[in-house]
Amino acid sequence: MLFNSLTFALFFPAFCALYFLAPRQVRMPLLLAASCGFYMYFIPAYILILFVTIVIDYVAGIYIERVSGPARKAWLVGSIVSTCAVLFVFKYLNFFTENLAAVSHLLGWDIKDPRWNIILPIGLSFHTFQSLSYVIEVYRGHHKAEKDFVIYSTYVMFFPQLVAGPIERPQGLLDQFRVHHAFEWERVASGLRRMAWGFFKKVVIADRLALYVNDVYGAPQNFNGLQLSLATFFFAYQIYCDFSGYSDIAVGSARVLGFRLMENFNTPYYSRSISEFWRRWHISLSSWFRDYLYDPLVEKFRSSAGWAFAILITFGVSGLWHGAAWTYVVWGLLNGVYLLAGGLTEEPRNRVYRALGIADDSVLRTTIRIMATFGLTCVGWVVFRATSMGDVGYILANFWRNWDFGRIGTEQFLLRQMPAAIAGILVLETVQLVHRRVNLSHQLLRLPALPRWAFYLAWAYGMVLFGVFRNEQFIYFQF
Amino acid sequence: MSPRADLRALASSAAYAWRLMTGAAAPLTRGDRRQRDALRLLWFLLLGALGAVALHLAIHTGLRRVTTADFGVTNQVVAGRLDAEIVISGSSRALTHYDSTLIQKTTGRKTFNLGLNGTQTDVQVAYLKTYLRKNAKPALVIHNLDPSAFAVSHEIFDPVKLMPYLDEPEIYAVVLRVYPHAWKWRYFPLYGYAVEDLRFTWLAGARTFLGSQPPESRVLGYQARHTPWTGDFDKFKASHPEGVKLDLNPQGVKDLAEITEVCRRHGVPLLFVYSPEYDGMQALSSNRAELFARFAEISAKAGVEIWDYSSSFICSQRDLFYNSQHLNVTGATMFSQDLARRLAQSRWLSGGATKQSP
Repeated sequence: MLFNSLTFALFFPAFCALYFLAPRQVRMPLLLAASCGFYMYFIPAYILILFVTIVIDYVAGIYIERVSGPARKAWLVGSIVSTCAVLFVFKYLNFFTENLAAVSHLLGWDIKDPRWNIILPIGLSFHTFQSLSYVIEVYRGHHKAEKDFVIYSTYVMFFPQLVAGPIERPQGLLDQFRVHHAFEWERVASGLRRMAWGFFKKVVIADRLALYVNDVYGAPQNFNGLQLSLATFFFAYQIYCDFSGYSDIAVGSARVLGFRLMENFNTPYYSRSISEFWRRWHISLSSWFRDYLYDPLVEKFRSSAGWAFAILITFGVSGLWHGAAWTYVVWGLLNGVYLLAGGLTEEPRNRVYRALGIADDSVLRTTIRIMATFGLTCVGWVVFRATSMGDVGYILANFWRNWDFGRIGTEQFLLRQMPAAIAGILVLETVQLVHRRVNLSHQLLRLPALPRWAFYLAWAYGMVLFGVFRNEQFIYFQF
Repeated sequence: MSPRADLRALASSAAYAWRLMTGAAAPLTRGDRRQRDALRLLWFLLLGALGAVALHLAIHTGLRRVTTADFGVTNQVVAGRLDAEIVISGSSRALTHYDSTLIQKTTGRKTFNLGLNGTQTDVQVAYLKTYLRKNAKPALVIHNLDPSAFAVSHEIFDPVKLMPYLDEPEIYAVVLRVYPHAWKWRYFPLYGYAVEDLRFTWLAGARTFLGSQPPESRVLGYQARHTPWTGDFDKFKASHPEGVKLDLNPQGVKDLAEITEVCRRHGVPLLFVYSPEYDGMQALSSNRAELFARFAEISAKAGVEIWDYSSSFICSQRDLFYNSQHLNVTGATMFSQDLARRLAQSRWLSGGATKQSP
């Protein structure tokens, strides 16, 4: 079920009413059933894949806690391998066989690419990683194994974050399923406000910009440099608003039900370096990779070369996590290279700035750093969004060529939509900037009821009339 | 109790409900708080729903009050205000090829162009049916034929143009056929505008509701296009070196035949015209002969003449088109002049001109 659909608009209030009216002991099974329904709305049969993963990691968790010595490690490895095998089959098998066939062709062997007809279950990478974090945390002794199958299943399947995160750790979420969450108006209203902000980002900004981006990136050769640049700028906002909008809706809907999810974004485009960007973008995934891949690798290799290796491996795998295509791998590695180059050139850059008399914390230096980080990120987004490496080359080579101001619109995105798109971005930036100094929710709550309600309703109607409601999937669902 | 006391009691209850809702009636017990929260939610939902209905009505009323451009034309059609003697029906090719003023001047007959941008024959039939049901009977209907005359609508280009007219049975039926969920557009306030209005057409409705009309773009239904050759066809040709196969869907054939039937039922003579198409595109269509064979079949069966401009000199003049299917204003003027001359001498109109409209 998509958050931005009429079905969800009917499902969520109906479920909330049932949930809060239900007796305490019925709530978890009810939440689990609703989560199953939510997931099965996409492709019902794929719930079985999720069920297999849940059973494997539930049993593994209990045995990891129960046994000791090599058996304990064997349970961990067995659980990781089998969970990853499911991910591999559904997400990477075609990519693997396609590349195997290509390599064999180069070597003169004739292995045909079988092309399995597999549809990737929505959000598979997200719940796989959440399951993995559970068994690893149990193995590390950071969390007790969950004995209650219903609670464990609900932890993996909790519908607000089931298909696109945030990827939670058991310490953060699992225990919340044992607590009774009463209906509290203030908390519910706060959750709804957060959802409204997420919907604004998704339907008013991301899906509007998607019309432009899809046209241009669908056939970049048909567009001039200005359109290519604008599409890339728009994509930066599209993917941010799409994914952070999803996270806002997830956090907000969980809050309505009484659950606290981790924050996944922290105004990433205000980052002053690529490393800071990755601390503020998709935080739940970045911290997952940091804790379970990067830190262990650094620990193992303990040298500068080892550090560089750890970064490239982490970002390469992170790229592959996003999708089974070389563009994603290159995108991941590019970010790794950014990070390495950033680390290696930090001192010389500081010397240049000092020589120019620009202080470290000056507005000018901060602006340059933010702009440079955003620019590098945009180059990365070209690789991420383009459908082939050929398109990547074309777009990067033609950014600056043939800027025709008389031809900005596209077939789907007429020029009259531009003011709405730009206004959406401006509203987003203004709110984010103001929110850094003033808590806007608190300010809103200080208003008398009448203007506050008028504001809520105007916001809702604005979203309905300026939004794009074409059942556009969230970009990260495909991962 | 006196009416005044009743009113006082009512006002006092309403004031209490408001204080309860806004939290001013403190201190509250747990039960009171629940009651307050439930009341708040209900009020909010009720106000939200009322606001949505009001906004929907304002937009709908505004669009129905438009007197200019595309909505202006459809509003005249559904209001039954037209009394044209020559009615032109069809797609964007009809819209941009038939200069009604010029045809009217030459033939001396009131002319109106119903061309509907981005539509196939199924939608055009519905539109023509609505016209014939609501307006004065014309002396002649000219239906412009397209290469896509037998294609069936899988979507309607900018369906918001039909959104205020879902009460018209013919229009609603065809919209529902293309979009089975279109009943939601009709019955859920703002829903149709939310899901289909990518171009902010609702703003035109809101503006007109407040008294401002959109700029005029159509004269007696005709829309002149002052656009030079765009070059899109050259790209299209390059990407289709093997040519293109025109869609000859049996349902599309039925839809075109239905036009002949509709006109017969209303006792209105019908003429099919295949207006000029750029000859580069004609050469690119691999099954064009088949298309024309079907046209011939339908017209022979219904006794309808076809005037085919496929071999007109206009078709070879690239500077008279802005793309392979559409004439620019210069091309449209040339075509309309020629057509009007032929019409003036035709059996349908040569019986004598009526008084020319101003």
